[in-house]
Amino acid sequence: MFAFSAEDEVNLLVIVVDVNPIWWGQQAQRDTEFTLSKCIDAVMVLGNSHMAMSRTNKLCIIASHCQDSHFLYPCKSWRGGDGRDEDTSSSGDGKYELLSVANNLMADEIRSVMLKSKVKGNSTDTMLAGSLAKALCCILLHQPLFQCVLVSVQVIKAADDCALQYMNFMNVIFAAQKQNILIDACVLDADSGLLQQACDITGGLYLKIPQKVALAQYLLWVFLPDSEQRSQLMLPPPAHVDYRAACFCHRNLIEIGYVCSVCLSIFCNFSPICTTCE
Amino acid sequence: MMKLRVQLQCKNLHEYLRELSPELLDRLYNHPATCLAVYRSELPSLAKNYVMRMLFLDQPLPQAAVALWVKKDSQKDHDECVSILSGLRLWHSLQLQGGLQGYSLNPVFKENLRIALLGGGKAWADEGSSLGPDRHARDIESLDKYALERWEVILHFMVGSPSAAVSQDLAQLLVQAGLMRSEAGEAPYITSAGFQFLLLDTASQLWYFTLQYLKSAQSRGMDLVEILSFLFQLSFSTLGRDYSVEGMSESLLTFLQHLREFGLVFQRKRKSRRYYPTRLAITLAAGVTSNTGFIVVETNYRIYAYTNSELQIALVALFSEMLYRFSNLVVAQVTRESVQQAIANGITAQQIIHFLKTRAHPVMLKQTPVLPPTITDQIRLWELERDRLQFTEGVLYNQFLSQADFEMLRDRAQSLGCLVWQDAPHRVMVVTPQGHSEVKRFWKRQRSNT
Repeated sequence: MFAFSAEDEVNLLVIVVDVNPIWWGQQAQRDTEFTLSKCIDAVMVLGNSHMAMSRTNKLCIIASHCQDSHFLYPCKSWRGGDGRDEDTSSSGDGKYELLSVANNLMADEIRSVMLKSKVKGNSTDTMLAGSLAKALCCILLHQPLFQCVLVSVQVIKAADDCALQYMNFMNVIFAAQKQNILIDACVLDADSGLLQQACDITGGLYLKIPQKVALAQYLLWVFLPDSEQRSQLMLPPPAHVDYRAACFCHRNLIEIGYVCSVCLSIFCNFSPICTTCE
Repeated sequence: MMKLRVQLQCKNLHEYLRELSPELLDRLYNHPATCLAVYRSELPSLAKNYVMRMLFLDQPLPQAAVALWVKKDSQKDHDECVSILSGLRLWHSLQLQGGLQGYSLNPVFKENLRIALLGGGKAWADEGSSLGPDRHARDIESLDKYALERWEVILHFMVGSPSAAVSQDLAQLLVQAGLMRSEAGEAPYITSAGFQFLLLDTASQLWYFTLQYLKSAQSRGMDLVEILSFLFQLSFSTLGRDYSVEGMSESLLTFLQHLREFGLVFQRKRKSRRYYPTRLAITLAAGVTSNTGFIVVETNYRIYAYTNSELQIALVALFSEMLYRFSNLVVAQVTRESVQQAIANGITAQQIIHFLKTRAHPVMLKQTPVLPPTITDQIRLWELERDRLQFTEGVLYNQFLSQADFEMLRDRAQSLGCLVWQDAPHRVMVVTPQGHSEVKRFWKRQRSNT
């Protein structure tokens, strides 16, 4: 009897947060003002604001760890409206019920992710490409359900780029471009060439924030407006994009290299037989 | 006589709020739920971003800086946002140090929207969980069914089904809303506005009804702010959860009983300490309901309605002639007589077409236009057939003593642009009520001069 009518446009926002424990550990030592929990708070502010904007807005949050990525919201322990045990703490402080349930779940989930996930051996890079791929899968899964009109992915990136993920990353970006999915990036530390390319290709915004403490305010000002409102608002100009590609042999970023005439693989030094297509 | 047809005005929340007095608006913003509801459903998306940008700022912003937020070609949208935000008293303009004009968010609104988003305030209401689990807990499906049933009883009552009975209060409310009329000692009967009401979709019906209720609320000695806040609070509650009536005032409890009768909340017994909001209450502020269609209209003026609901059949019968009735289907024919009968009852062609369109069967929805154009055109033509007379209010001037007097006054009225009609041989003329006083004054002046 009741259903979403056709003119309601569903606006799905997927937030990918870099929770690389090594980077955040170092950050906590450098600067006690801005820690992972502060960052998660800022993400919650963005998520809550997004969900408060309209009844049809949907939210999804993914934590990007070293070896894997986790859904913080909606997560497995989410059981719709009948989650009785969570309800005791919900809306006790005047917060909109839906938001407080969501926030509690997110807090629980991030805690368990940080406690359970172990960093093994030498892989200390964030699985950003994997998380982005997961975000795209999540979007494609929801798109037919809600007839999503506006879709965007917001990446909050802390740790450095990983050249090893170059190929996977570019594949994800081009997939997103084909699906008209916007990728925005908010970079906390060093500039990321990969994300600059991602934002440039998909038409999103790239911003390296000058003051980490003001993360929530940056997120609200720059990244909260959807693509429709962005065309009306004055926003930071596009950053200079680092378009260097990583070679397939050593994963180094190069400006000039050798390209296979058959499969267009890139190499930093000359070899008579292409290792990709042979 | 002057106005045969009263168009049912279906206002939305925004128009309603704009008519409230500033003091009332300021008091409304004292509750996080109202702030969130106003923010979510009243503001254009650009204005929502303005509010978000200023929500965590403690200093006012210079107006010049705010104007620079938008690109040049969106200046019009910006002006619209500014006027809406000021109209709803969400922000004030004030003088900054150094003489600049600035904006700052309404502090009460800012505080409560922050609470709605991030918490840190008082609970909206006492928690249902303090009651412990409900032995008679309701699932979402049964709540939906209950809400629909309750609402249909009201509609049934309006069409005069003998089985439908509503409380004295509700019947009175329907009369006050102008949807029904009652003569002393008789059962109320439906008015032309009531017919139009029946053809609206559920969400619009609900809104119209709620607004009428709010209008009469103050005369019932209820606090408008209190019940509006509660209504918004309901619209943000979770479907399938129970809430406690603990801590509600006497007038709010009466309001809850009324809501229970409309099907907006479910309460097992009148004295029950808990209630469940239904989908009707939750979608009230959003208006996202739509019925699944069941009507097929063919170009031969036949209507096939796949329904066994007495109410829906009665609605279809408002403007068509019933041909056959089966267990899950009725067949009706739209005829000139039946449509004109409906129009005589005060229903407009537009409403009939809208009714058919919004309840069109999924198969019908696949074609564009949804309804066959010959049907929609014909229904409109049948309406126009009745519209050969136009009524204009006026004041008659007659019994002029001389042709010269008549011509002078007629020319005067003509130059004022208020002459409706004149007949020179009989020295009769009609002017509009607005021009009447001016023409009369002129005539008196003329008479005193001669």
